[in-house]
Amino acid sequence: MILTIKQEKINTFRVQNQIKYFIMGNNNFSRRKFLASAATVGAVGAMGVGTLSSCSSQGGSNAGGGAAANCDWVKRDLKFPPLLDKVPEGKVLKAGVIGCGGRGSGAAINFLDAGGKTVTITALGDVFDDRLGSLRKKLMNHESKTEIADENCFIGFDAFEKVIASGVDIVILATPPKFRPQQFEAAVKARKHVFMEKPVAVDPVGIRQVIAAAKMADAAGLKVVTGTQRRHELSYINLIKELNDNNGIGKITGANVYWNGGKLWHRNNKPEWSEMEWMIRDWVNWTWLSGDHIVEQHVHNLDVANWFIGTHPTKALGFGSRQRRVTGDQYDNFSIDYVYDDGMHIHSMCRQINSCSNGVYEIFHGTKAIATTVGHKPQIVDAAGNQLFLAEKADISPYVQEHKDLITCIRQNIPFNEAENTAISVMTAIMGRVSAYTGKTVTFEEMMNSDMKLGPDTFIMGDVGYMAKAEVPVPGTLERKK
Amino acid sequence: MLKRLGNFLRKKLLLVILIGFVVGIVATLYSHKVIVATSTNESCEACHVHPHVFDSWKLSVHYDNRVGMHVGCVDCHLPPKGHGYLNEKIKAGTKDIYGYLFKDSIDFNWEAKSTLEEAQHFVFKESCIKCHANLFPLTLNKEGQDAHLYYSQNEDELRCINCHLNVGHYDPNAIHAKNVEFGSSGNEDKEKYTAPATVTAHKNFTETIPGTTISFNMKAIPGGSFKIGSPEKEQFRKADEGPQKEVKLSPFFMAEVEVTWETYLAFYSATAAEGRSTDTEGARTKADVDAISGPTPPYGQPDQNWGLGNRPAITMSYHSAETFCKWLSQVTGKNYRLPTEAEWEYAARGGTETPFFFEGNPKDFGEKGFFGNLFGKGDNKIDNYVIYGSNSQLKTAEPDKVEANPFGLKNMLGNAEEYCSDWYAEDAYKKLQNGATNPKGPVSGEEHVIRGGSFKSEIGEVRSAARDFTKSVAWMKTDPQMPKSIWWLSDCNYISFRVVCDFDNKTGKN
Repeated sequence: MILTIKQEKINTFRVQNQIKYFIMGNNNFSRRKFLASAATVGAVGAMGVGTLSSCSSQGGSNAGGGAAANCDWVKRDLKFPPLLDKVPEGKVLKAGVIGCGGRGSGAAINFLDAGGKTVTITALGDVFDDRLGSLRKKLMNHESKTEIADENCFIGFDAFEKVIASGVDIVILATPPKFRPQQFEAAVKARKHVFMEKPVAVDPVGIRQVIAAAKMADAAGLKVVTGTQRRHELSYINLIKELNDNNGIGKITGANVYWNGGKLWHRNNKPEWSEMEWMIRDWVNWTWLSGDHIVEQHVHNLDVANWFIGTHPTKALGFGSRQRRVTGDQYDNFSIDYVYDDGMHIHSMCRQINSCSNGVYEIFHGTKAIATTVGHKPQIVDAAGNQLFLAEKADISPYVQEHKDLITCIRQNIPFNEAENTAISVMTAIMGRVSAYTGKTVTFEEMMNSDMKLGPDTFIMGDVGYMAKAEVPVPGTLERKK
Repeated sequence: MLKRLGNFLRKKLLLVILIGFVVGIVATLYSHKVIVATSTNESCEACHVHPHVFDSWKLSVHYDNRVGMHVGCVDCHLPPKGHGYLNEKIKAGTKDIYGYLFKDSIDFNWEAKSTLEEAQHFVFKESCIKCHANLFPLTLNKEGQDAHLYYSQNEDELRCINCHLNVGHYDPNAIHAKNVEFGSSGNEDKEKYTAPATVTAHKNFTETIPGTTISFNMKAIPGGSFKIGSPEKEQFRKADEGPQKEVKLSPFFMAEVEVTWETYLAFYSATAAEGRSTDTEGARTKADVDAISGPTPPYGQPDQNWGLGNRPAITMSYHSAETFCKWLSQVTGKNYRLPTEAEWEYAARGGTETPFFFEGNPKDFGEKGFFGNLFGKGDNKIDNYVIYGSNSQLKTAEPDKVEANPFGLKNMLGNAEEYCSDWYAEDAYKKLQNGATNPKGPVSGEEHVIRGGSFKSEIGEVRSAARDFTKSVAWMKTDPQMPKSIWWLSDCNYISFRVVCDFDNKTGKN
């Protein structure tokens, strides 16, 4: 049903070892104890990782030509979004926006630009009056002069329910990701088409909720686009077509993915704010709200890796730290070694620190050549750096294109649902985060079976006693213990 | 004559074809009618004299539901057309007719037939899926989402009836939820023991668990040496039982019977954790380290509705059994633990070197079967000692149903399999040193040894030397909880354990 990659079946639920995860939330960020209990459980983990294939055992570097038959690129049945310049005509589609901050506003404008006169926005929801008001004004100033009636503006943690019930066809979910699974499920159960931003969850419990709701959406014929806009970007699509259809680089034997950039932003406390209000306004610095930046931001690159490689890694070992972040409890850098079922490694690196060397791109090492997106120019080069192929790009912004694709799929009833794929990419990122926080190797299977759930149990706009107990995770112990 | 007939046929070719055609159509129509007629509920009811089948069906959601649909016998008990319908119909029909003509329905073990193991042979997944095509309806609740997600990742290994066993025939005792009530007994008013047993010498004693009404017998097992494993010529012997090695053991104590539900529930109520699995385990603060955190509530009915009391406790994980020993040691001030494989076999043999601790070879105790019934069984002495597949009615029995072995131990063979502390290895005895003292098995492994066979076992599996091992993945296959329980097994109803107690300075050794 998914128009992207025909994902290999995620065979991850087998309980080979009974390592479990306790709930990290509940105001108790004792992540250091996490996994310590694994030993007491005492089951011997037969890790489900296969032996190294002869290809990938060559160290993951570009091994050059002469690949044996079983080392060749295996062509996959790839599906792509419709990528029309102009959406087909049809009944006016009404959207409601849940989460009116920066990305919510961006998505709302992108949606209007994508659909032109054939779409409109009729309802807004947020927990903050001022954020909602600011988007309302932006919509008024937009060339569509979109006006939202007072009775369709909803404030509070339950605003999403009211937006969904207000008679819209599509909901745009752009709150901090912690709230996404609940909102996505509610939207699907109300039979709404969904545009939701990545990441789609911050913990395994949320991921499972999203995957289950995604399957419900499939069964109900709903269309879902998830803000992984590289999958709607012509140059990226042309690059993977070159790899897939024309065996552009041979079999992929390794990859590097990067999101090294500056800090995003932080909010200092204000006397009139409650604890919950401060955390939510400062959400990109709190793990329970954003998933940490490897999940919130770097998931884009990990998603490209899953897309190009055709499956997700089965385990991760990494580290990270907090050097210059001002508020919250997140790290500001991660470095993760991901391992795939066949033994192939990829390296992931992300950082949010100002005035360092930066770059946001992916490199795939093949048996024949190298695919790279450095400088946002998807292309293929040889080992000496000579360009072999440059992917043609489109003028349109992928942030607008993904909304065009959503509208097109709704109007032409093309099955299209990115939620499960994106949930798996987000889980890949969560696996890296947990490994860095704990210092331990973490498997995808463990994550799929984990009951880890971040954040307070109830959401009220007040003092919830969360921040006082929050601590930045530190892996390992001082003592010499195993 | 023949020539004339040939000529006639040739002349009337058209007529012959026409007659053939008509006969064919009639046969087809008629056989179709037969198939339809023999597939109605009434036709099933005509032979299926088991009285509860129709009553329980009429109470089930496949008969009594808010959409007013009745789902008939063959809708579930035969695969859909195109999935081997006719094949299965012929098979089932033949079996039914044979059973109807030659067997007495009173002899059937209907209870066993409604267990998952038996039901999977006559309830077809394809039939469930044919009607229940959408596993993710918008009305699905949280638990259903988790469970169906799990199913969708493991379709090849799972059946719908793993979780939905009783949807076709109502069972008032079935529980498909977390069983929070489990184990509340009526013993609260009885007098409780205030102190554990004091042991001053290597003699049989009765342990009393302080703060509970529970006591159980421990037998003093003398030290000595024996040959572990079986000789090559023993009937039903498997390769992992050899080569035989001489093994020495120090004196120890062993429980007379497999741990009973009564005893196990004392542990459960003393240590039970409310939360889920390792939530409590991992979040424990340093101050709580000495407190033993025990099982969370089970999912469903761990005793399989066979009853609690003196029946062996079953379906606990190895981790649970180990934690039980830790707890028992703490409350009694002695050193309780699971037996090693060598201790277990030494105790089971009770000085004998034969396949069983009583006289006879496995083949003397022929399985009941067609010929068994016809000629009568050779010898039923085994029924005095062992609860196994042929006499168990497919469930555990209370210990007083059997006689003890030479060491005074009951149910060492049969009833429920028992955990040993050794890791299992097929070649464990090969690596064992002749004359070793108190061997503990391989240093590492993936599955633990289990011994003794169970109420399900065939005759060869209840020999003193027969070895078996845990199946970690298979035993947890259908636990719908996320994560799965570390305390209770969802898919193994034949495992129990028996404790041993060290003979050391706490039990009278100088």
